[in-house]
This record gives sequence, structure tokens and C-alpha cells, in this order.
Amino acid sequence: MNALQGKRKWVPYVWLLPSALLIAVFVIFPILIVFKLSFSEISKAGVIGDFIGFQNYIDAVHLPAFKTVMVNTFWWVISVVGISTLLGFIVALVLNQKFHGRKIARSILVFPWATSLVIQASVWNYIIKYEYGSLNNVLLNLGIINQAINWRSSYTVEFIWECGVGIFVTVPFVAFCVLSGLQSIDGSLYEAATVDGAGFWNKLWNITLPLVRPSLTVSTVLNIIYVFNSFPIVYTMTKGAPANKTDTMITYLYMLSFYDRKKGPATALSVIGFLILCVCAGVYMLSVMRKEEEP
Amino acid sequence: MKKTLALLLALIMVFALAAPSAFADDEITLDVIICQYGPNTNEWFLGKGMNGTNFVDKFEAENPGIKLNLDVVSWNDVYTEVDTRIANGNAPDILNIDVFANYANEGLLLPVKDYCPDELFEDFFPSFIEQSVIDDTVWAVPDLASARALFYNADMFDEVGIEVPTTWAELKDASQAIIDFYDGEVYPWGIDMTTDEGQAAFAYYTWGNGGGFVDADGEWAVNSAENVEAINFALDLINSGYTNPNPATQTRYDLQDMFAAGKLAMVIAPNQLPTYVADKGGEINMATANIPANEGKSSSSVGVMDRVMAFKDDSAPDQAARNEAIGKFLSFFYDPENYVGWVSMEGFLPAVNSAVEALVAADPSFEAWLDVLGGCQFYPTAKAEWDQVKQGVIAAEQSALTGADIQTELDALQAALVG
Repeated sequence: MNALQGKRKWVPYVWLLPSALLIAVFVIFPILIVFKLSFSEISKAGVIGDFIGFQNYIDAVHLPAFKTVMVNTFWWVISVVGISTLLGFIVALVLNQKFHGRKIARSILVFPWATSLVIQASVWNYIIKYEYGSLNNVLLNLGIINQAINWRSSYTVEFIWECGVGIFVTVPFVAFCVLSGLQSIDGSLYEAATVDGAGFWNKLWNITLPLVRPSLTVSTVLNIIYVFNSFPIVYTMTKGAPANKTDTMITYLYMLSFYDRKKGPATALSVIGFLILCVCAGVYMLSVMRKEEEP
Repeated sequence: MKKTLALLLALIMVFALAAPSAFADDEITLDVIICQYGPNTNEWFLGKGMNGTNFVDKFEAENPGIKLNLDVVSWNDVYTEVDTRIANGNAPDILNIDVFANYANEGLLLPVKDYCPDELFEDFFPSFIEQSVIDDTVWAVPDLASARALFYNADMFDEVGIEVPTTWAELKDASQAIIDFYDGEVYPWGIDMTTDEGQAAFAYYTWGNGGGFVDADGEWAVNSAENVEAINFALDLINSGYTNPNPATQTRYDLQDMFAAGKLAMVIAPNQLPTYVADKGGEINMATANIPANEGKSSSSVGVMDRVMAFKDDSAPDQAARNEAIGKFLSFFYDPENYVGWVSMEGFLPAVNSAVEALVAADPSFEAWLDVLGGCQFYPTAKAEWDQVKQGVIAAEQSALTGADIQTELDALQAALVG
């Protein structure tokens, strides 16, 4: 019997082997390559040269747009993840109620998430277009405004629009994560709380929030990664213009690599981004796990 | 027995895998990357767009022993694709793209004389060939060109009762007249200072003021007094409300759409604009004129040229045969029987003399554009710092749009260039 158990010990590892191989080839290997590249000289045409230590990192942080891009990236992640989490939570609460047409409402919610981000960003570009955008058309036809408004009058406004589109496409993901958490809550808990005289806010704070926390954790951590790495919205709407004022780290390093042809600093920036994400996700996960372990 | 069978099977498989290369030593395969100029490019090279056949099939039928592994890649992706392939040591044999200086400076390209037949080389417009010379060596050949000119809505000009502007002062007067007449409903002038083509805007205004990217000696001079005056003039047009409102994000295609919709009176665009407007369903009575220049300065059109180049491949067993195969590819491509169809299909201008006669016979309007092309200035793409300059002037323009001083911005760029 013991001999059989000993033999079977390796069986789980065999089953895990394909996944481990895939992760090694498609995740770990590219990460290691990028790390190696970030310490190498890379020519304008892409030829990889000698080891140059931290020179690419020094060049990257001394780029004129570096500070602007980091500040933009901070606001981009905080606003899109923060606001979409709040809105997604509210939407999930609404969709968890029993009402006529709930299934249709849930289906519609998937659309912004299921549509390609490039298409979403292009559509929003048309909606807010000054000359013949549909937003101006609708407002003009309803008589709400007398003349067309330039919805992209400054780069700050354009950046806010980009964040808005980011929030629009992220809300459904949060809503579905939270909804799955809400549906797993035993209804008798609410009944008991109601009998004890608990109101809406009381139940929300003491039953709903603690029980959907795992779902919220998953959605927040994944969103931080997705939003930080999101490329299509900013690239499609402004390409970082004017003069990198609306760039985030990902669009900036792409422009740096393939437009400015500064591939070394671009690779260093991508490593910096990877490390920032590791730290953010790690700190968040640790703090949440600690709270979950609290009695 | 089982083991013997398995070994036999394995040997057969190894032999089967090795066989094609063992028997195909005489055959040369050329990896070719072609940029996608429009919806017809793919059909012409790989589909049925070449009178029911395609370039690859026709070439391979006429050139036994040479196989083409040809990819049509969109302009958005081609730089990423090529750079990635170079980084992986897998550069294409033949590349069609706009820039070449980085590849030449890094020793990746073959000199044109190594593979281009003399007869074909003599056929290229000399002024085009000059654009691809570094250290007295020609590194690429032109594949096609387009020329930019001022297009204006002739009906609008008749309605307003104004003449086409030839100077900057006349341009401002005409713009004010259009604003007054249409009560601000029509933009008089289109400006594109986007990340895509802001360098073109820089060229339009600085060349029209006797400035430009380089000085008379061919040295970088992006912060010259003429350039600063020219960009300040462009900014003045924007601030006066004579242009489209968001020049940093409204691309040339946005401007062309506005022109096609009768929302824009004047736009600087390539010779394909009439086809573009017709495809959009626009019915604009348009005419062309020289790009307005500053008083006393001469107008200059902007020529844009793309290239074909061949990469070195030290691993090729027979370099002479490879060079000959590349030469055959070029000869076949520029054969008027094929090339005329290629150039006219997407509405471009030719790069070889032998195609001119047939193109003008098919479309007489080509002749006027060939004249424009003869007087064009080109971007200094043969200089190694061109990428930096191109992105630098765009960043300077865009910073100026947000309130920065253009002199300071261009001074910083010039300082970065000359060290």
C-alpha cells in the first residue's frame, strides 16, 4: 500500500507539467529575456549589443517626459480601478435584485467588456468629435446646447475622457465578479439581520461587504494589472499627444521603442512597470489576506 | 521487435523532415516584407488582384528556382515586425518601408549596386536615388512616391469671392473672409500636428519660409530663426481660429474627411486626395495650388518616398545567387507590365522613367503631378538622427500648442542633436 502511495506521489506533477511548461515558455522565459535586454545596449534597428549595466534605467528616468508619464499612469490606474470598482459594486447590487428584465440587463452589461478596446475607443472618439460627433448632435437636437462644444478642448479634458472610457469598459468586469460573490451569500443571513432590525446600510456593511471581499480582491488585483498594462484606449484616442501629456507608461514605452527608437530605455521602463505591478499587487494581496486571517 | 520498428519509424520521420532541404539546395527562398498601402495591396501581391493572378505566383512561374515568402504588413505594425525580426537575427531579405538610414548605418543592408541590374538602376529618377545615399553608397531604391499640394474647395472660393492665397498674408486674409462668410461654420485651413504627421506640418511652414530641417550645408538647423517664425505663424493661425480646433489629435485623414464633407476649405494633401474624397462619397469641386509661402520666399512641395532595400544574410550558402535572385525580384517588380498596375492601383506616382509614358497615357492628370514631384523637397531621411528629429519637431509643435515657447523647444532639440 505504502509502495503504491509512493509511486502515485509524482502523478499530480505529471498533470501539472503541461501548465508549468506553458507558463515557463510563454510567461517566465519572456520576462527573463526582457530583464536581460534591459541591461543590454540595443541599437535603433533592434540589434542587441553588449551588457551596459544600469545605463538604460538611468536614461529612462532622465527622459523629459518620464515624470509626466508616471504621474499620468498613477492617475490613470487610481481613477479607472477606483471608480470602476465603486460603480461595478453598485451595478452588481442592482443586478442582484429581482426585477423584470434582469437577464436582459445582465446580458447588456457584458457588451462594453466583450467588445474590443480599440473599437470602444474609436467609437468614443466619434461620439465626442467636435465637428460631427454624436454627443454634440444629440445635445443640439434636444435643444440642450445652442452650438457644438469642443469636448477635447485641452489635454487634461482628453485625459479625463480616456479615463472615462477606461471606467466604462472596466465596470462590467467588476460587476460580474461582485455579482458572483453576492449570489453565493446565503439569503438567510439577510433574513436574520432583518429580524434583528438591521437596515440597508447595516446589512451592506456587516454582511455584504465582508462576504464579497474575496471577489473584490480578485477583481481589484486583476484590474490594477489590466489597467496599468492597458494600451488600446490611450493609443487610439490620443497617441499620448500633445507631447506625451496624455501618455501612460505602456503607450509611452511603445512610442519610445518604435517611434523614437530608444529601445534600451523602453525595455528598462517595461521592467520598472513590471516591478511596480509586482509591488502593488503584492502589497494589496498581503493586506487583504491579513485582514481575512483576522478573527 | 517493437523497438526495432519504432527505431525504423523514427528514422523514416527524420529522413522525411530532412529530405526537402536535401533535395532543394538549388532553390532560393526570399523573405519579402511589403507595406500595405491600401486595400488592394494584399490582393495584388497575394490574392487575385493582378488580372486574376498575383505577383508571387506570376514571379515564381517566370523565375523557376526562386520562391517568395512574401508578407504584406500594415504600416502600423511594420516597424515592430521588422525590428523584432532583426533582434531575433531573422531580418527579411527584401524590405519595403520608408526609412533606411538606421539599417544602413548598422551595417545590415547590402549596397544597391550588389544586386540591382545596371539597366534598372539607370531607370530610377536620379533625384530619388540621391535620397538614399550615405557615404557615397546607394542603400535603397525608391518604390513609389507621392507629392503634397494645396487642395481648395473651388466652389467655396467662388461663393466668398476670393482668390487662392499664395502668401501667408493672403492666407490670413482669405481665412478671415471664409470665417466671416460662413459665420464660423467652415474651417478655412487644416493643420495636422499629430504624432503621425507633425513633421509634415513642420516642413510645410519652414520650407515656405526659407528654413527647414537642415541648413545649406546639410547640417541640422531645426532652431533657425526662419523655423521659429514659421511655426509661430502656424500657431497664430490656430490661435486666430482659422484652423481645425485640435491639431494635436486631428490627423490628415480627419482633415481629408472634413474637406470631403465641405467642412474645411483648404487642406495640404497628397495627390490621392481626389480618389479619397470620391471613395468617401464627397462631391467637392476641388482644385490644386502651390502651398502658400511667406512674402518673398518660394513655395515648396513636399515629396514623400518609400523604398525597397535588401538585407545582408551571411548564412546564405551562395551570396552571388542570392544577389541575383534579389535583382530578378526588382526587375520583375519594376517591369512596366507589372509596375504600372501597382503604382496606379493605389494612386501613387512612379519612381522609374519607364513607367511614366504608360501612366500618363492612362491618366493625363499624372503629368502635372510629375512636374510637382520634380520640384519637391524630401525629408532628410538619409541622416542617422532623422527619427529623433522627426519625433522632436512633433513634440516641439505639440508642446507649443499647450503654451510652451517654440524657440525654447527647438533650441533644446538642436542642442540634443549637435551635442
